[in-house]
Amino acid sequence: MFFKKPLPIRILLLSSAAAGLVLLVTLPLWRIRDALTLANFSLIYLLLTLVVAAWLGTTPSLVAAFVSFFCFNFFLIRPYYTLTVKDPRELIDLFIFLLVALITGQLAAYARRQAEMAHHRASEQNILYELSSAFNRLNDREEIYQTLQMVVEENLPILSCVVLPAVESVPADGRQTTIYLLIGTKEQIYGTFCANFAEPPAEGQRRFLMACVVQAAMALQRIDLAEDVQRSRAIEEADRLKTTLLHAVSHDLRTPITIIKTAASNLLSLREQISVAEKQEMTRVIEQEADALDQLVGNLLEMSRLQAGALKLHEDWADFSEIAGDVAAKAWQSNHATRIRLDFPEQMPLVRCDQGLMLQALSNITNNALRYEPPTSQVEIRGDFDDQAVRLLVVNHGPTIAAEEKAHIMEPFYRGDNGQVGLGLAISEGIVLAHQGRIWVEDTPGGGATFVMALPRSPLTEEPDANSDR
Amino acid sequence: MRILIVDDEPQIRKLLQTGLIGHGYAVETAADGAEALTAVRLYQPDLLVLDIALGSGIDGLEVCQRLRQWSQVPIIMLSVRGDERAKVQALNAGADDYLTKPFSMEELKARIQAVLRRVAREPATSPTATIVTGALKIDLAKHQVTVGGEEVHLTPIEYDVLCLLATHPGQLMTHRTILSKVWGPDYAEMTHYVRIYINQIRKKLGEDPAANIRYILNEPGIGYRFVDVA
Repeated sequence: MFFKKPLPIRILLLSSAAAGLVLLVTLPLWRIRDALTLANFSLIYLLLTLVVAAWLGTTPSLVAAFVSFFCFNFFLIRPYYTLTVKDPRELIDLFIFLLVALITGQLAAYARRQAEMAHHRASEQNILYELSSAFNRLNDREEIYQTLQMVVEENLPILSCVVLPAVESVPADGRQTTIYLLIGTKEQIYGTFCANFAEPPAEGQRRFLMACVVQAAMALQRIDLAEDVQRSRAIEEADRLKTTLLHAVSHDLRTPITIIKTAASNLLSLREQISVAEKQEMTRVIEQEADALDQLVGNLLEMSRLQAGALKLHEDWADFSEIAGDVAAKAWQSNHATRIRLDFPEQMPLVRCDQGLMLQALSNITNNALRYEPPTSQVEIRGDFDDQAVRLLVVNHGPTIAAEEKAHIMEPFYRGDNGQVGLGLAISEGIVLAHQGRIWVEDTPGGGATFVMALPRSPLTEEPDANSDR
Repeated sequence: MRILIVDDEPQIRKLLQTGLIGHGYAVETAADGAEALTAVRLYQPDLLVLDIALGSGIDGLEVCQRLRQWSQVPIIMLSVRGDERAKVQALNAGADDYLTKPFSMEELKARIQAVLRRVAREPATSPTATIVTGALKIDLAKHQVTVGGEEVHLTPIEYDVLCLLATHPGQLMTHRTILSKVWGPDYAEMTHYVRIYINQIRKKLGEDPAANIRYILNEPGIGYRFVDVA
């Protein structure tokens, strides 16, 4: 607690000390009073008063001045032990001494008060500064109220304090011990701070309390503003997604539907005019476009599930080389050529994950890599592991991705230079993140992009020894 | 062969019916679960193609569970993508296989044939047969496995796993089934055993998925399927 109210008993004690000090100094002066002049005495007493004023304050300095005046007159000026003076010129000296002692005493005491106040202000500022930086770190309203209460209880002589819901009318009566302060800004009132003092608080204490409450109100306003910004950012993001989704739906969904519709109506209306080969081709196109449509709808559903956080993982032990094998086989089936090279270490550990989802994640990334792979080379799917993580690397040897494009490449609906809706990579990213894993793009040495998916390694509780059956 | 198709979408029922009749099957249809249960009693089909989602009333999963209390008729479930949990439940409830919508008529035909073959063959699986697919040859009598004429040395468990899959070509074997048939019922949940052994077997058989040389096909999250030799 740094606010101390000067007590009357303390002032009495200090004043007595001042008087005692004057008497103490008078004793040696009295012994050598014949050797010194009047000017010597007055200067010594003046110095003494000054010291008392600077050291003990206003009232003791007043006491010191008057006691000095008395001792000076009574013990040191002839005739001794009376309050009369022989020479009226000495009377002038005496009164001038009293006057100077009083003035210097007051000045010194004033300077002392100023210094004390400056000190108080400094520590008050310090506490307020610490309070505001503490508030800045907090993002929870309840914590702000708690910190406010704690600081007030620590620094002010209060019995109790409490934060009440905003009260419209504050009970007013001049010198009361309970203080109500609104916690709020011009726009918004958050509550009322109620502090219960043991006795009516001094002006400085009131001011300090008010400053604390203002800091709290500012902190609450900051939280409000931050939340507003976050909300509007989320709305903006949702808006952007909605717009791109609409674009995607209107273009990427309509195209296969148009093709299917045209082919089907051709088959229906031109039954006689078209050849068997043409009929077969149209039917094949219908099937192919239906597959494309199915994949796109699946991706859209997966994406919305990921964004809504509704993705449920069915985790089990999975073998990354098996997943990569499935992806490679599918690539062979759609190209009828080996477009992928697999490279997995002998002791590739099993990973706990949702196998179906990881298959989809790898498949999306691999399809993307295949799209940009030169016909003369193969996309590599590599496995790799250390103590912490198991990684899948998809290495492409096509064009290197520009740095600024890398930052956006996994955003949903990002359109690359080929104009396709970029849902695949966003889904892969979502799946990997749902597994507490990481996904990133590196440059392939010599050109191309390498996508890396890393999942945390999970300890296998009981491993069968594949070489020593049963 | 009589097949009962259960689906709540009339268009899909109609198309499947046309397709299967075209492949030489006799086909009846049912639009919901209750109708399906009655139709199985009246019509005595050889196989059920059963959609998991059947609109209101009892769903495909429940039809499967109820049927299994008194009938062993083979069931192929139809489901949509992302419905893995329902697939596993259906398989645990006694369904024989599943197919994810949309599928081609060819796929459905292959599944139906594989399942019907199992039913036809099960009473008398010949222990002396030889299974051949691609370069792989399994001589069940000699317990001998060769790839391109070269003998492959498998451990007893590896051989048991391969045999179990190879004697049911094209048929879905769940992790559970493999574990309880090879290791015993106490091991039914130890899925990582299967993964490790399948990986070993594949390496020894010289599978090369990048060149589409595969013998054991993966059904993510559900089980394995030996390539269809037919």
